[in-house]
Amino acid sequence: MADETIRVLYLDDEEPNLFSFKAAFRREFEVHTCDEPHQAVRLLDEHEFHVVLSDQRMPRISGVEFFELVMPDHPDVSRILVTGYADTDAVVDAINKGQVYRFVSKPWNEEELRSVILSGYELNRARVQSAARGTEVLAMLDGVTVELGRLSTELASGAADAVAHVQVGLRTLQETVVEQRHRYGRSIQKERKT
Amino acid sequence: MMPRPPYGRVRKWRPALFFVLAPLLLGCGQGPSTVVDALILESFRDPSGMLRPEQVHLKANAAERLVGDRPNLGSTADAVWVRVSGWQGAPRNVRVILDNPTLDSIDVFTLDGPRVLNAFRSGAAYGQAEDLIPTFNLPLNESHELWFRIRSTKPVLLPFNLTQVDRVEALRERRDLAVALYTGMVLAILIYNSFLAFSTGQRAYFSYIFVVLTVGLVQWGFNGYDRLLWGNIPWMATNGLTVMGAFSGLAALVFARHFLEVRRYTPQWDRLIQVLLVVYGAALVTALFGLPMVAYNLVNLGALSAPAMLLLSVISWRRGNPSAPWYFVAWLIFLVAVTMQALRDFGVLASTPMTATFMPIGTVLEMLLLSFALGNRINLLKRSSDEANAKALAASLENERIVKEQNAELEARVRQRTEALAKANQGMSTALEDLKGAQDQLIQNEKLASLGQMTAGIAHELNNPINYVQSNATSLRRDLEELIEIIEAHSAALASLAERAPGAEEMVGRARERARALDLDFLVEESRQLIEGILDGADRTARIVGGLRVFGRMDGDQLVEASLSDLLEASITVLGDRARNKARIEVEFEEEIPSLWCQSGKLSQVFMNIIVNAVQATELRWPETEDRRVEVQLKGLAGEDAEMVALEVRIRDNGTGMDEVTRQRIFDPFYTTKDIGKGTGLGLSIVKGILDDHGAEIMVESTPEVGTCFILRFPLHAPGASQTEAA
Repeated sequence: MADETIRVLYLDDEEPNLFSFKAAFRREFEVHTCDEPHQAVRLLDEHEFHVVLSDQRMPRISGVEFFELVMPDHPDVSRILVTGYADTDAVVDAINKGQVYRFVSKPWNEEELRSVILSGYELNRARVQSAARGTEVLAMLDGVTVELGRLSTELASGAADAVAHVQVGLRTLQETVVEQRHRYGRSIQKERKT
Repeated sequence: MMPRPPYGRVRKWRPALFFVLAPLLLGCGQGPSTVVDALILESFRDPSGMLRPEQVHLKANAAERLVGDRPNLGSTADAVWVRVSGWQGAPRNVRVILDNPTLDSIDVFTLDGPRVLNAFRSGAAYGQAEDLIPTFNLPLNESHELWFRIRSTKPVLLPFNLTQVDRVEALRERRDLAVALYTGMVLAILIYNSFLAFSTGQRAYFSYIFVVLTVGLVQWGFNGYDRLLWGNIPWMATNGLTVMGAFSGLAALVFARHFLEVRRYTPQWDRLIQVLLVVYGAALVTALFGLPMVAYNLVNLGALSAPAMLLLSVISWRRGNPSAPWYFVAWLIFLVAVTMQALRDFGVLASTPMTATFMPIGTVLEMLLLSFALGNRINLLKRSSDEANAKALAASLENERIVKEQNAELEARVRQRTEALAKANQGMSTALEDLKGAQDQLIQNEKLASLGQMTAGIAHELNNPINYVQSNATSLRRDLEELIEIIEAHSAALASLAERAPGAEEMVGRARERARALDLDFLVEESRQLIEGILDGADRTARIVGGLRVFGRMDGDQLVEASLSDLLEASITVLGDRARNKARIEVEFEEEIPSLWCQSGKLSQVFMNIIVNAVQATELRWPETEDRRVEVQLKGLAGEDAEMVALEVRIRDNGTGMDEVTRQRIFDPFYTTKDIGKGTGLGLSIVKGILDDHGAEIMVESTPEVGTCFILRFPLHAPGASQTEAA
């Protein structure tokens, strides 16, 4: 996890802010900046980003609106809103609706922003992993279902050694499920700790 | 009939009475004494009128004896021959007189059988020169016969007398005197009543003086005096009396009509009067056409009007005409006089000087009584007019009283109303004060809202540059540390190279490696840009703060010298994304615009308000920010001598615009087109107030779906001075 490069995209209509951001975080993260919402959408489609930051007040589109725009295609990316003035109503609304992960006000505290970006990254990772785990579990369940079907057919054939065979198969299935459960239990516990 | 204004009561009867009695006294005096009272008159008629005196003796046997003092042969066209005898033996100074001046022609012949010894003529038809009392000499020889031939259109009345010459003269004188007295009285009545006629303007008076004139002239005619007026006109000499009689009748009828107010009291009699008028008119016409006999008889026929008028006056009296009794009495006297005259003429009454005065006295009395009646009538009119006046006066007094009462009532009501109004007024001023308080509160709220919006804008505007200044500084420190690290590595390597220390080459290699690892070129470039960013941020911050300083205190009233371009810029800056991020704001300021003494904070409020409105108007019309435009212009306005006299700010947008109704009301307090709760409706009202304080004008041009332009004109000189004082 630590060895993976964290990819961050920052959208702001004011170039000096973009430059500042890049100068501040280029060492830890792979920083991409952009002062145009459409360009930002394109970048999101082309690369996988872990975290997206956007200024709230921009000429053509607000930060919340931008997030709304990209959320359907990129649900896992962590969205952080940056704004110069606490336009609280809009921000609270956006957070409650789940469009925005965190809210950071300008001038930003570099450490704080860094930790927000990192936690955003963690969230992103967690979301991606849980999605992957879900896929794994589903695959296992599919396997179990197929195996159960096979065993039930064998039992119905009435062969002399059918009972013995099915007993062996069920034990194997039980072991597989217990193993899987053990694995997920650990990972969930681990996540809870963090 | 319109009542004329009243005059003095007419009192004229006392002097008049004397004149009435005078002829009577004269009449009672010495009459023409008849010396021989037994004149024998025999007459025959000559219908052809062709009989010559030479032939008279042939007809003498046909002559009949005439009886009475005043034989009356009536009206006749015949020539009447009269033999006068019985004079024989009379003294020499005695003459025969025929005292009838109305006879047209009298021819006297002294005959001796067929021989005409002497001839003489007299009569009205012969004109002025003729004697009023024709006098004839007796024949010298008592055997001769004295014959008279008389032709007359008037009744042949033959009052023959024998009279002494000197008595004739006395008789003439007395008659002249009587006629003169009569004439005098008639003239007096005429003149006096003429004056009244003209001063009262009453129709009855005019017809009355006509009556007096004609009656007087008729009396003149009876005595032959009319020939003094028109004796030289042959036609008038014959017809004068008839004409005057006709006129007299006409006058009497017209007068009766006016005086008795026939149309009012006895309208059905008017027809009769008209008929009688026609009769008299016919008399005049026939006289004119040479039928004097007919004319005379028509006049006599017209005399029927006398009793008719008498009857009419009685009826009118009974119908309530107050003037009628007077008329009745006057007319009765006249009728009596006429009747007496007629009785005398027909020999019923003795022909004495006394009876001869009946007619003139009767007419004079009639005239006087009618004059009194007229006076009385005027008095009646005056009385009724007085009564009417009194009634009118009473009515006006009553009206006045009512008006006074009403006035009093009105005053009381006005007082009540005034009190009520005063109360209402007081209530209203209280309400007004409350309202003003509320308005002040609202204005304060609006100010606070502006302040809040401003604060938000300023915060956002300031936070951005502060953000990158701060962030850049942090980054720069890190870069600087790395640079120092590289520099230190290099300087250490350089030192060991200079000392030719062992491992120097290695140190140089490490230093180079470090510089490469840290990307020295990038670091240098980045640092440079970070510093640029810091400078830029610092500059931007300074500008915003500078703009804020221009605002002064938001509610400050003090005047400061400020540049409108700075104020506009600051306003736009402070509005920040509320303006810039929502529309394209294009700014066009003329150079060298002088500064203005103003309440800068308040003016910024004005600009912000208008700009925000403009932006909102464009937002309503255009979905894309690109399309929304707001232009802010500032320029100087030159006066007549090319000197700059005013500054003009134009804030134009391409928004929704507004209709005329809205345009006229936008400065009204509480007028808003925004949704309830979105606007107080005070913004532009406050704007107007602030601009008024600055002596500035504000104009609005707007077209729906095209845009709106606010034009603000700030005078450069005059009002500023007064504001300085006010401040």
